[in-house]
Amino acid sequence: MAVEAVRPAVLRPGAPGGGSRLPAGRPGGARRRRLWALVVVVAFVASLIRSGVGRGQVTNAAGWSQVRAFLAAATDPVLDAEFLRLTAEATLTTVAYAVLGTALATLIGVVGGVLASESFWSPTRSRRPGRPGRSVRALGGWLGARAVLGLPRGVHEAVWALVLVSILGLDPLVAVLGIGIPYGAVTAKVYSELLDEAPHQSFAALRSAGVGRLAALAYSVVPLAFPDMLAYAFYRFECAIRGAAILGTIGAGGLGFQLALSFQSLRYREMWTLIYALVVVCGLADWWSTSLRRPSRLPAARSEPALVAEATPGTHRLGLRRDRRLLLSAVAAPVLVGISVVHLQVDLSTLWSPRAQGLAADLAGSALPPDLGAQTLATLGRLSLETLAMSVIAAVLASVGGMALAFLAASTFIRPDRGVTAHDGRRPRHWGRAAAALLTRAVLLVCRAIPPPVGALILVFVFIPGPLPGALALAVYNLGILGRLMAEVVENLDPRPVRGLRAQGAPGLQAFLYGTVPRALPRFAAYGLYRWEVTIRETVVVGLVGAGGLGTLLALQLAAFDYQGVLATLLALVALTLVVDLLGAGLRRALR
Amino acid sequence: MSGAGPLFSLRGAGVRYGSIWALADVNLDVVAGERVALVGPSGAGKSTLLALLNGSLCPSTGTVSVQGRDLTRMSPAELRRVQGRIGTIHQQFDLVGPLRVVHNVNAGRLGSWSLARAVASLVRPRDVAAVSAALARVGIPEKIYERTDALSGGQQQRVALARVLVQEPVAILGDEPIASLDPARAAEIMGLLASLAGREEGRTLVVSLHAVDHAVRHCDRLVGLRAGRVAFDAPSAEVSGAMVDDLYRIEQECSGVGPREAT
Repeated sequence: MAVEAVRPAVLRPGAPGGGSRLPAGRPGGARRRRLWALVVVVAFVASLIRSGVGRGQVTNAAGWSQVRAFLAAATDPVLDAEFLRLTAEATLTTVAYAVLGTALATLIGVVGGVLASESFWSPTRSRRPGRPGRSVRALGGWLGARAVLGLPRGVHEAVWALVLVSILGLDPLVAVLGIGIPYGAVTAKVYSELLDEAPHQSFAALRSAGVGRLAALAYSVVPLAFPDMLAYAFYRFECAIRGAAILGTIGAGGLGFQLALSFQSLRYREMWTLIYALVVVCGLADWWSTSLRRPSRLPAARSEPALVAEATPGTHRLGLRRDRRLLLSAVAAPVLVGISVVHLQVDLSTLWSPRAQGLAADLAGSALPPDLGAQTLATLGRLSLETLAMSVIAAVLASVGGMALAFLAASTFIRPDRGVTAHDGRRPRHWGRAAAALLTRAVLLVCRAIPPPVGALILVFVFIPGPLPGALALAVYNLGILGRLMAEVVENLDPRPVRGLRAQGAPGLQAFLYGTVPRALPRFAAYGLYRWEVTIRETVVVGLVGAGGLGTLLALQLAAFDYQGVLATLLALVALTLVVDLLGAGLRRALR
Repeated sequence: MSGAGPLFSLRGAGVRYGSIWALADVNLDVVAGERVALVGPSGAGKSTLLALLNGSLCPSTGTVSVQGRDLTRMSPAELRRVQGRIGTIHQQFDLVGPLRVVHNVNAGRLGSWSLARAVASLVRPRDVAAVSAALARVGIPEKIYERTDALSGGQQQRVALARVLVQEPVAILGDEPIASLDPARAAEIMGLLASLAGREEGRTLVVSLHAVDHAVRHCDRLVGLRAGRVAFDAPSAEVSGAMVDDLYRIEQECSGVGPREAT
């Protein structure tokens, strides 16, 4: 309700010519959106040119036979007992990394989320803690917590792992911390927003009764926000499995590692066994996390879902079924953590061993000061542009593809609203459409299950090595993720407008065009922009296998132990992600 | 088509959701030009009855006829043609927020437009004159190019009315059309709705309402529904306070059976 009430006020000031004073004028909002669409097209074309399209040869026709052989192996994976045992072992490792990484992230998220929430720092009064008259200490604490959490988010988990491996050596903790630290920072941000969004009357009441801050939070806001917090933890777990697979490709072990090994010896049939294992694990995690955050079918719960910086597609009221699953998840999580600790043989004492401390000191000593000479800066600038170009290509292709496939993958496509309800209240399933939707979902799942470094290496068969195959691999990977998130957007749209159109006799396609598409597109655009912010970080992982940009530079510097250069590159990466985050946030606001 | 018989005719119509009968054995005739109000407590079956009338719900038992033709036996194309002449408005949630008003009004014609025309109109609005006329009739001609979700609740309900008007409907169905409006806005919209129907206009109105005073003031006939059955069916002038009290009181006792569910 509140969203509806605020909307017009937000909309009007930025819309010249759209207000009620100029009745015949075309709305400024539409013109502004068209302008942004043009900007995106220009940026996309410029990025393609930057990545070498239109300047000489980009494809290598001779490689097609290899790609065909790879694809043909999909129907014939290796299924002998020994390899299956190896696959099971690797799967367990990947899942264990994801479990422990997510557990650490949730821990960081809870502590950081409370510290970064406005509620925690608010005086006894109301839910929007005083813009007028907030104490300096509280403001400082809040800003401090936000700043501390901002930095780890800017760096991809693979980069964290590469830095940590120089300190801890080849230890399972590298992957756990590599996932846990950046994910923890993101989780903390989302948790703080969930805490601040939850209704605050009871919190205010407790505070005014003299209850301490933490106790008041624990008894009022946390119970309200808890289901969404748990659901988000599982969304993170779903991402962590993909992250663990990517870390595997750079040496952390598990499915990604085996996949890279099989690729090096061109054993495609083995690769498909491993890919199918990834598909199954990713699919299960996706399914479980979706069922936790799917909003209830109550119409009231279908008002505008708030799209916070990270995708949390379910800050909604709960259904009973979801409650049971949440409970089951809360019980299963500690068990999974226990199994993972045993399987990976995690030894926390490594963290404060004298060896690690010595290596950390050495690393800090050799990295400072960062190499910021004129020549390095020029290189960093050039490679930053290349990285940016890769991220734009990947994000635009993934968004456009995702938009098209989302409608096919959504469950509303399988059970279309024909405007006529059978007397038993159920809508009939359409089998042809069900087959198309399942196929689309399977394609999306495979797209996001193949780690992008492996995807890039496969694409290099048919593309001249460079930024383009890297960008395309990222595009395919993000298409898999975006297509699924966008399908959820479609499924969660309020069904009433379409039903209304059908009830007055509009045919299905017309009702879809007028009722579904206009409401889905703004949210698709917001998801696309959010994904661009993630993609700029992910360019590093395809860079590590030679696709170019800052990631490739980083790999070369690490191999040469040039830690001053590494630090400079990391700073450039953080700066670049910061710029993209600001651009993305600004664009999202302009779209709203 | 000729108006010899009733426009809407329900014979023994019943709707069952699982084991619950939302409507049971309803017999009802509505003649062209009549203004009928459906009153009754929440869950009495008002919305279900309206869904039967516009063909978006098939009855579990009995028949629903429009102009003497059984809705359940029509082909999908025929049904769409009939639905195209029946305009339904709900609370304003049926509009597509991000679309401009002109498109939301034109959406009333999608049943008779080709796909190509529907697509083209999203780029360059068609039939702007008719849309303007409809918007003028509901009192907001100046809002034609505004985004629909930028309008107030009352204005959005006027857009919904304009959409119904471009359908050139023989009947307008209103499912609690004023439930989410403040009293002043509700009175305005209800008056507008009543003025669009009636014998002179040649349009039929069937509207479900919580506010019995609006029903008595604006409609010719009141149908009281209670637990899926017709409790009374009488001209507005003959509806007494006792009848209305009875309608709501009985239902209260019924729902009192499960007091724990209410908490």
